[in-house]
Amino acid sequence: MLRKSLMIDPADSVAMVLEDSREGDRIQTPRGEVTLREDVEFAHKVAVVPLHKGDPVIKYHEEIGYALTDIPVGTWIHRHNMGCDRGRK
Amino acid sequence: MKERQFMGFRRPDGRVGVRNYLAIIPSVFCANTTVERIAAQVPGSVPLTHPVGCAQVGLDLDLTARTLCAMGTHPNVGAVLVVSLGCERFRPEELVEAVRKSGKPVRSLCIQEEGGTTNTIEKGVRVARDLMALIETQQREPCSVRDLIVATKCGGTDATSGLAANPVVGNMSDRIVAYGGSVILSELNELLGTEEMLARRAVTPEVAEKVRKAIREIENMLKHSIDPSLGDNRNQLISPGNFAGGVSSVVEKALGGVLKSGTSPIVNVLPYATAPQKGEHGLFLMAYESHDGEVVTGEIGCGAQLVAFTTGRGNPTGHPLAPVLKVTGNAKTYHAMAENFDFDASPVISEGRTIESLGDALFEQVIAVAEGKATQAEKIGGRELFCIARRVGYHRP
Repeated sequence: MLRKSLMIDPADSVAMVLEDSREGDRIQTPRGEVTLREDVEFAHKVAVVPLHKGDPVIKYHEEIGYALTDIPVGTWIHRHNMGCDRGRK
Repeated sequence: MKERQFMGFRRPDGRVGVRNYLAIIPSVFCANTTVERIAAQVPGSVPLTHPVGCAQVGLDLDLTARTLCAMGTHPNVGAVLVVSLGCERFRPEELVEAVRKSGKPVRSLCIQEEGGTTNTIEKGVRVARDLMALIETQQREPCSVRDLIVATKCGGTDATSGLAANPVVGNMSDRIVAYGGSVILSELNELLGTEEMLARRAVTPEVAEKVRKAIREIENMLKHSIDPSLGDNRNQLISPGNFAGGVSSVVEKALGGVLKSGTSPIVNVLPYATAPQKGEHGLFLMAYESHDGEVVTGEIGCGAQLVAFTTGRGNPTGHPLAPVLKVTGNAKTYHAMAENFDFDASPVISEGRTIESLGDALFEQVIAVAEGKATQAEKIGGRELFCIARRVGYHRP
């Protein structure tokens, strides 16, 4: 089913789902319709563009981290597949 | 500039309070129980118990001294009773003198001189009641929002904080500044990644460099504190609740958190618990990191009379000297913990309400609280946010 979502900035590489969503659910984004590849909880992030390992992840028009693996569109993005070295290295 | 008034307590030093407390302050943790028992018998008094005041040196002792003096001279305080042990490293006379200079009534008692706990409590209750009698007749009078300083803080952030609660607080912050008042942003450990956007908002190149330097120093301190030998579970910069709420990195948290400050220029960078120069108004950055209590206490030490506190996961804390308004952007959390919230910003997400309309409503609520309306944290009696910052093992650069 179609779920509510929000992309904060049109240049972002992620959208936030605004409802608890299931694998196969769809969201409408400025980058086109995205089908979720897995369950995604309220307010968590989904890739709206394909990311390669090492690519910056963009939210709020800023880099919030980098892809730890290749990430296809519709994938849940969180600490398992996004790194951030600020304050650490 | 627009003018807006509210009813507050004018102090002898010209500052303005939104509450009128008798503060009972231990100069060292050894006096905590005595202070609590005195305060329990004197309605209108607040005990400012803490774990420090002895066996400290250098900046660590200075932070304690600075904070205790800032609490004693705070405009939400009408009078002060200092309770000392008698042999502590922090000299109670320093606090008594600071309060006296601010023009407020102050008395002190020393447990070793009074002959122990019970004698000090008995005498303390009588002295505290005399002080209450001096201040309880003071009336509120018209004051300007120019004299208001609002502290901002998040605690228990989730991904709704950056979407609703923080932008609404930011809009309220802009309104405070538009009326000539002041706002404090801090918790620098959670501003990593925002240093350039904050530096661009500084009023001068010198202030911009102060902003960059403050955040750089905190980031270096964090890097030195990380110990990979202790494992991942000891080295995360944000909390399990932040992760569960959809925040994946310290930078993502920062980009949401910085929205609390609105869009005003940054006037200056303040050290911990240090008031702005007289005549300096607007948005300030306070250079400190660490947890909610230490940051909020530092902001109140800078003179903030009330605190706008955002949370997505839910938060029950309060401060003994300043009302803390709790704001959430998470509808589920708001309904689950309604008794802990003063303002629901979730309609930004669920009903498409504008940041402007809710920012205006929050501003009016801030004014109502400044005029005496009790926050939920005040009704519950929370005072765990009074925490004095430490710098143990600090190496002077």
